[in-house]
Amino acid sequence: MKVRKSYLLLGSVTIWILLARLLHGKNTLQLDTYENTAFTTFVGEKALELRGNRTGSPAFIYFFNPIRAVIDGFVQFIRNIIAVPAPNSVIPIIGWLGVVGIVAFVVFATSQWKTALLATSLLLACGALGMWQFTMDSIAMTLAAVLLSLAIGIPLGIWAGLSDRVLKILTPFLDLAQILPTLVYMAPIALVFMIGAASATIATMIYAIPISIRITSHAIRNLNQSPVEASESMGSTRKQTLTKVQIPMAKQMIVLGINQTVMAAVSFVVIAALIGAPGLGKPVISALIIRNVGQGFVAGFAVVFLAILLDRSTSAVAKKQASFVPATAKEIMRRRIIVGIAGAGAVISVFMSRTMLWAAVWPKEVTVAPQVERFTNNATNWILDNLYIFTVGFKDFISYSILNPLESLLSASPWYVTVAMIVALALIIGGGRTAILAFVLAMGIVLSGLWYEAMLTLTQTIVGTLLTMIVGMALGIWTGRSDRAERVLRPFLDAGQTLPAFVYLVPMLGLFGPTRFTAIATGIVYSIPIVVKIVCAGIRAVPHALVEAATAAGSTTRQIITKVQLPAAKKTILLATNQGLIYVLAVVVIGGFVGSGGLGYLVIVGNSKPELQGKGLIAGAAILLLGVIFDRIMQAGARRSS
Amino acid sequence: MKSLFSRRSAVVTVVIAAALVLSGCSKSVNDSAGGASGDCGSYAIAMHAWGGYTASAQVVAEVAKKELGCTITQTTLDEGPTTYDAMEAGTIDVVIEDWGGGRWKEWTDRGAVVEAGLNGNVGLIGMYVAPWMAEKYPDITDSKNLNKYADLFKTADSAGKGAWFEGPAGYTTIGEKMVSANKLNFKVIFSGSEAALVDGFTKAEANKTAFIGYAWQPWTLFAKIPNMESGHVKFPANDWSDPAKASGLTDYPESPLVKLISKNLNDANDAFTSLVKNFKWTNDDQNGVAADIEGGMTPEAAAQKWIDAHADVVATWLGK
Repeated sequence: MKVRKSYLLLGSVTIWILLARLLHGKNTLQLDTYENTAFTTFVGEKALELRGNRTGSPAFIYFFNPIRAVIDGFVQFIRNIIAVPAPNSVIPIIGWLGVVGIVAFVVFATSQWKTALLATSLLLACGALGMWQFTMDSIAMTLAAVLLSLAIGIPLGIWAGLSDRVLKILTPFLDLAQILPTLVYMAPIALVFMIGAASATIATMIYAIPISIRITSHAIRNLNQSPVEASESMGSTRKQTLTKVQIPMAKQMIVLGINQTVMAAVSFVVIAALIGAPGLGKPVISALIIRNVGQGFVAGFAVVFLAILLDRSTSAVAKKQASFVPATAKEIMRRRIIVGIAGAGAVISVFMSRTMLWAAVWPKEVTVAPQVERFTNNATNWILDNLYIFTVGFKDFISYSILNPLESLLSASPWYVTVAMIVALALIIGGGRTAILAFVLAMGIVLSGLWYEAMLTLTQTIVGTLLTMIVGMALGIWTGRSDRAERVLRPFLDAGQTLPAFVYLVPMLGLFGPTRFTAIATGIVYSIPIVVKIVCAGIRAVPHALVEAATAAGSTTRQIITKVQLPAAKKTILLATNQGLIYVLAVVVIGGFVGSGGLGYLVIVGNSKPELQGKGLIAGAAILLLGVIFDRIMQAGARRSS
Repeated sequence: MKSLFSRRSAVVTVVIAAALVLSGCSKSVNDSAGGASGDCGSYAIAMHAWGGYTASAQVVAEVAKKELGCTITQTTLDEGPTTYDAMEAGTIDVVIEDWGGGRWKEWTDRGAVVEAGLNGNVGLIGMYVAPWMAEKYPDITDSKNLNKYADLFKTADSAGKGAWFEGPAGYTTIGEKMVSANKLNFKVIFSGSEAALVDGFTKAEANKTAFIGYAWQPWTLFAKIPNMESGHVKFPANDWSDPAKASGLTDYPESPLVKLISKNLNDANDAFTSLVKNFKWTNDDQNGVAADIEGGMTPEAAAQKWIDAHADVVATWLGK
């Protein structure tokens, strides 16, 4: 069975290449950027109508505009407390010293002094980078988005945890939200809610809510059932069982869900600036525009510090384990006194930040930003000057050897050939139902009129995923087999996951110029950490008995890896490839900012040219269709291989 | 443990409540700092991507803050529809420089955005080769001869043709039309940002590599690469009266740059409204400030430097 499948795959690809050669350049559906199809013109007109109606139509007056006003007001309320001057005032309600005092106290009271110290130093570091106000804006935005997400996500999650029906209804949406590239839904949201904090908050929520729903329902579902049954048999009502047994038992897991929701919101901080979010995204994006790598890194560090701060302080609460030795009365008393003192300190610091200017506004003289900026700029310039030849050489090598041939195969052959091949691959890898789905979705792209651009994006995504998997598999196997390697790499992987892609898009542009490869390279850097983590987990999950048996039989390390560990971890590796592909796709489209063309560029140009807005919106939809096609094929493949 | 946890959350709540109450009643710094709020309200200026825009916007912001006591927020966002939408929503009040030949019509027709006159800068757009090429191949700056040199411009990304680096997404660009109407053997590459073009031109000039790209004035790159203008490629002129129909034969026209304000600001008709309406300066003024910013000064400092040196001009904006 397995042999036949690989023969089938090989055969189809051969036929594909032959047909592509034969019919090269025919029916490619290529369209100049400024050209609209009847469909994109229609969508553009609808979008224009929608904009015109924003002050007039009932849907806006009674639904969308009030939502926008409420969320805007909520965000502004939090910003007034910590970030921007409150009404009739020149400073926020709480100045920097007060914020530091409160954060230190809250973290100390909920976890321990080490975490509190870390949180305080990270906060001060953001200030020292000259990013105090931007950081506060980002915290305010994150806080607003997280609170609103949890208000929706936790109840829905509990409901989905209790009812199979609800879970079944929600699952497709949760899946879709996970593969939805962020660039895609910003424009439609901005169209309805306009540019500003409200749109940015809603976009963040769309990203964060699915995560809190998933983890909460998972927490409820995986509880030890005996206490629940005991409670039921003792005649508790469903409500009592839920509030007295299930939720308290699931609390730790739900807190972990909060942690993940916070991290999702933080990862949105930068990209949300594209639709008007105040905060750290602004300096990052302006750095991209004027290509100031140093400034990009200064702001990027602040984003990373903020992410670590929020991660550690929320996960510390989740990890807090009840000690087996009950605390003595004396220990509890001592702890209470210390917490009390810390609380008094927080109150005093708030008071000071209200009454003394130095404690209210971060002193401009206390900054290391110019030094950091100069250092990174010098380092980057050195790299650019000295390694340019290598980087350009590498870029050209990849372009001529993989990128160009694949692009010509996908985009320069007739659309029906490529669609047929995608359907054939879906059939071989995923089976009949997947093939039908792939056909419908691919035809959707064809009918949208943006087939050619979609193929450009697809090419870049495939090449990016390929390179990601080469590096990711190697590192994943290494970390999967060696604890030491894992310890060494872990911090880099964590940092790589929190550093927003926009930050390294800037130096990538310097290294590779405005090319497709810049987008691909950024996508690779962005997706490697997740791939390494998944592969590593897969390798570690291979039963020890298997590996030991192979070792005892005298297999070499290489044999153990290729004959035992990789085959046993096949399903995980397929899932890692899928995750890598989705991540690469999400970033490759952002590459439209740096010359990669394709669907991403159409989304971006649609945002700035009214006559192309319809085309931009459709391009967003096409990106989503591409993502879904490949996600479905890979998921089906992974299911079959288990 | 559970009871301790909930007691602790109670403590946290009490302390935060205390802090908030305290912050509500304690004497605020505001009184001692004496907020500089004059008769001018609180307004937001859109900050668009390019260096010249930053210069103009920052100068207006500094004058408004220091001379009029306005509270000014500066919001980074894309030019074009996103900004007009924000103006309609009331989150943006000023666009100090718009190149887009009337693309705001839909919004001005609705009364959401109001034209506030010209800002004195004149935009010139064109296609430029790296200046060293103009010197080595004197006839390259005539569009008819471009095909002869197309091979020089080949890159890994240009599909066997010459690479033609187009301006950023929001800018007025007609590269594809120019290429097809002039039957040029070039492929348009959407370089996406100003940074990419700066990078392209400077590297090409330094390494004597081939480059043809979109450029505009006022732009600080013209100060950095001294004979930049010599690389200006001339295309057959064409009628630009109807941008929608303008065929590819056209070279870009001169465009006087326009100021736009929100309905709110127009209706307020206060000191800031008249400052924005009166603001006017030259390409040289803008280039000077923009060059200072690019040279490492903060926008605030660069703007202040210009303001200090041109008190007379500022006075006319303020109607003094």
